[in-house]
Amino acid sequence: MAIITVRFYSLWRQYLGIDSTALEANNIEDALAKIEDEFGARLREQLKIDGIQADGKLQDYSLILLNGTSLRNLQQKDLKDGDVLQIFPPASGG
Amino acid sequence: MNISHRVVQQNHLRRDVTSEANIIQRITKSAEEYLAPDGKQYRVITQKAVTSIADAENVSPLEVQVKALKQGIVPWRYLRNMGTIGPDGQVKLLQSAVAVVGAGGLGGTTIELLARQGVGHILIIDNDRFTEQNLNRQIMCTEMNLGEHKALVAARRVNQINSDIKVTALVKKLTQENAIALLKGAAIVVDGLDNLPSRIIVEKACRKLGIPFIYGTIAGFSGQMMTIYPEDKGLASIFGPNGSYPDQGIEMKIGTPSATPAMVAAWQVQEVIKIITGVGRPLRNHILLLDAIEGAIDKIELGGGE
Repeated sequence: MAIITVRFYSLWRQYLGIDSTALEANNIEDALAKIEDEFGARLREQLKIDGIQADGKLQDYSLILLNGTSLRNLQQKDLKDGDVLQIFPPASGG
Repeated sequence: MNISHRVVQQNHLRRDVTSEANIIQRITKSAEEYLAPDGKQYRVITQKAVTSIADAENVSPLEVQVKALKQGIVPWRYLRNMGTIGPDGQVKLLQSAVAVVGAGGLGGTTIELLARQGVGHILIIDNDRFTEQNLNRQIMCTEMNLGEHKALVAARRVNQINSDIKVTALVKKLTQENAIALLKGAAIVVDGLDNLPSRIIVEKACRKLGIPFIYGTIAGFSGQMMTIYPEDKGLASIFGPNGSYPDQGIEMKIGTPSATPAMVAAWQVQEVIKIITGVGRPLRNHILLLDAIEGAIDKIELGGGE
């Protein structure tokens, strides 16, 4: 079991009212499940107040990096003490 | 080459040398001394003198400005650029072409700032027209130009700000097919787009052209920015290899207030200036997350641990 830091940025930080939290997890899947359990509903509730219907879990509509690497590019799914998960929303406006 | 050709070429060369000497002489003669409030002494030249020399010598005002700067004589309009980028940096900017894809929120402010900074050629690509809902945040949009093409309005604005630089407006949609042809010749491409698929097309074209792409995007009170060189992982480092996120992000629902595009575009323009002049370090392999609500700027290093 690794102790990792989860950091929220941008709108997610604003909606959740926190910028980071510590978490104990075995691997990335485990960490994402715990993050969804703790923050998913709260985030969707806040999004709904702003008129945004977010479907699925927090990880489905967020950009998530592990120590700066997108989870979509990661081969290794294990976690170690001191790892940092960085979570923020996609944006595409111009 | 026969003798008559050689004589003609030598005559051309002699005329060029004479003309060059004439221009420099005129520039030197027109230069004025200026003592800045910080005690620094400058030799400066007015816009009027630049135009007059350009007309007399049948060269462009931009050419006169470049020659003046190379003599250490600063066109007044660029005096306040000197402390940061110096005459050499200004010459590099004046001799560079920068493409801005999209002339809306990000693109409009970017174009305005590039023109003021003195980028020699601004290429604007946008096929859209201004509508009322653009008025809150798109700096080029006014009540007078609703319905007009954004690229053409932006080009007019550039001419009003800085008539010495070249501006090319293309009322075209940038596509996978035409991206390389449209962006060819640009030293840097700035992102003023509003969807991920188009950004991926531009990033790919920039890789093929071997030039940097300055990614920027906005949503609500927040924005993101990253400078992508051809050899960098770029958009894939945050979106994954497929770039399979939705076309539109959350800003379509929450909207964008007036200052957000300006906030991100300002950072994008700083990157352009830094890259062209060689001042500072471009923001490569990092994503900058700007959050005006929390008053926070976060810089995340990308690609660690891969």
